[in-house]
Amino acid sequence: MQRKKNIWPYLLLAPALLIVLTVVFIPAVNAVLMSFKNYDLRRPSSMGFVGLKNYMTVLADPLFWRSLWKTIVWVGLGVGLQFVFGFILALLLNKKFMGRGLVRSLSLIPWVTPGVLIGLMWRWIFDGNYGVLNDILMKLGLIGDKIPFLAQESTAFPAVIMTIIWQGIPFFALMLLAGLQGIPDELYDSADVDGANGVQKFFLVTIPSLKSVIFVTTLLRIIWVANSVDVIFNLTEGGPAYSTQTLSVYIFNKGNSLNLGYAATMSIMLTLGLSLVALRYLKSIFKNQGGKA
Amino acid sequence: MKKVFMTAIAFAMLFTFAVSAADKPVTVTHWYWADNSKYSATMQQMAADFNATNGKNITVVAQEYPWDGGAYSETLFRAVMGGGGPDTSSFKLTSTPLFSANGLLANLDGYLAGWKDKDQIEASLYKTMSDASRTKSVYVMPWNTQVLYVYYRPSMFKKVGISVPKTYAEFLEACRKLTQDTNGDGKTDVYGFGMRGAKGGQEPWGSFIWARGGNFNDMTTPQAIAGMQDYVDLFKKGYAPPTATMDGFNEIIANFKSGKTAMTVHHIGSSAGMVDTFGDDVGAFPFPGDVGQWTSMGDTENVLLKSAKNKDAAFEWLAYLAAGKGQETWCTVTGNVPVSRNVKQLPFFQNNKFMKVSIEGAPVAGILPILDTTTEWISTIWPNTVAAALMGKVSPADAMKQLQAGLWRK
Repeated sequence: MQRKKNIWPYLLLAPALLIVLTVVFIPAVNAVLMSFKNYDLRRPSSMGFVGLKNYMTVLADPLFWRSLWKTIVWVGLGVGLQFVFGFILALLLNKKFMGRGLVRSLSLIPWVTPGVLIGLMWRWIFDGNYGVLNDILMKLGLIGDKIPFLAQESTAFPAVIMTIIWQGIPFFALMLLAGLQGIPDELYDSADVDGANGVQKFFLVTIPSLKSVIFVTTLLRIIWVANSVDVIFNLTEGGPAYSTQTLSVYIFNKGNSLNLGYAATMSIMLTLGLSLVALRYLKSIFKNQGGKA
Repeated sequence: MKKVFMTAIAFAMLFTFAVSAADKPVTVTHWYWADNSKYSATMQQMAADFNATNGKNITVVAQEYPWDGGAYSETLFRAVMGGGGPDTSSFKLTSTPLFSANGLLANLDGYLAGWKDKDQIEASLYKTMSDASRTKSVYVMPWNTQVLYVYYRPSMFKKVGISVPKTYAEFLEACRKLTQDTNGDGKTDVYGFGMRGAKGGQEPWGSFIWARGGNFNDMTTPQAIAGMQDYVDLFKKGYAPPTATMDGFNEIIANFKSGKTAMTVHHIGSSAGMVDTFGDDVGAFPFPGDVGQWTSMGDTENVLLKSAKNKDAAFEWLAYLAAGKGQETWCTVTGNVPVSRNVKQLPFFQNNKFMKVSIEGAPVAGILPILDTTTEWISTIWPNTVAAALMGKVSPADAMKQLQAGLWRK
């Protein structure tokens, strides 16, 4: 018996598909096309197809490589420490104590605060003349003189990394807490019966049970942090002396300078880099889906 | 009855003619930036005054956008390129190549030819405007200028026993002497010079380059490098705050007002706030020269966008700002140097000590070369390159090479 063709599913999908095409696919294709053009709005007369020239120029640009390295450090330390502190917070919030609900709610504040506001707020906290951080450190006797945190190379990048860590801890805590609450107590009971100590239970029960949560959460955060511009831009704009300029901030600065072809080229390269990271995630998803089928 | 009917028809026709003869209501959207809330309120009041008095049924809707260290120009550009944006806008001359290359500005020649107050503005200013577009036409309407000079605290000068520097060498020496440890704890409490290392710092920095005999056409000359060396030395020797690499407008003003710095460079736009803070204990002097002398002429103009639907009405508003009551109000409140001859003659401007210093500095006031690279150079290349030099990452000579390459693309 031949099945009747039903167009309703396609019709119902069409609006969503149309929106995705309009706001994702077309701009993405446009960015790819732009990367092969000399697309500098300051010089409209010299716009045109230039083939791989932008890619060659980017690869020969020392600032690109420096920004790429900064991005790796930014993501590595930023996401890594967000995960560590987020995990600790999740474990604490998983314990029963008085006022736990309130603490859980308050711990979300950094996550719900807009990045622009975080940048501006921490800019004043780190301020070398009037910042509260200097004041606290001096009152505690930890430093003898004020530190211009954002104005010197040795402290500017650690300061922006610290800010992104502060912002991302609640996200990890929230996701891992949800995962922790889903681990059956029986697993820990069995481990107790087998005579496992706390550390063994953590590494042999907790971590394996949270594997997929950790994997997805870390991957998402890597992509978000690598693409993040708002926090750095509002803190330092990539300075001083490009010392806090990650690739996304460099792209933003080039885009702001209206050299859109160059900015698009670097965007494509960043996307390709992040796709390599995401590939493992996608493969894992497809593998799991295949297993269930 | 017929008579009454005919009279009614006659009145109705008369009314119809009267209404059609009156100007149709026109709305002009104007974009501007403001340095503080007082200026914001002033611009809104000016628009309201213009709307009430123009007699041509023109309504100006003034919309404020942040200056954002110069990113305003890019915001405006993107808006207009995207098919939106205002009919008129406040503008910086340095953005002219970008806007004119993309054909976004209306040619003002025809409007200026028929404008009764055209001669209120110096012919040289019109020339500066047309030079910026690299054509013989005026696309940018003069509005006001700001000549940069040095703010200082007379009480601090008196305390260390120095007088107002007349030469560049005296200025550098003043920076040294004014740097003090006031409470004897071994730490600097007052810095001689409030250096601006973030965006916008290229303006006071230019004075150092020119003082040694350098210029912007070739920043790799020994003279220009010597100027850069002086600038770096001020920072390295501790005569400027250690935060200087990232200090922008807000920081240099806050540092000066809090007494952390004894001198800083800005224009008359800050004078009202300085007087509010210090009363008589604030003065000004032109940035002194040595082999050469230069100070930055901050300029603010207005433009009529080509996309404006009602250009005649929009020009009426620009004319009001350039030579009408708008010129007087804005320059009085902000303290900016007027472009209108009549407004310049008003007692407020004749008796203002900061205005006098502005006028004194005017003969050596100039602007950066207006190139299609200038905006990127100002916003990214200059602050990062100079910060690298201040932090000792590159030598002054290498920094100047990088600045030269960034501005001139060679």
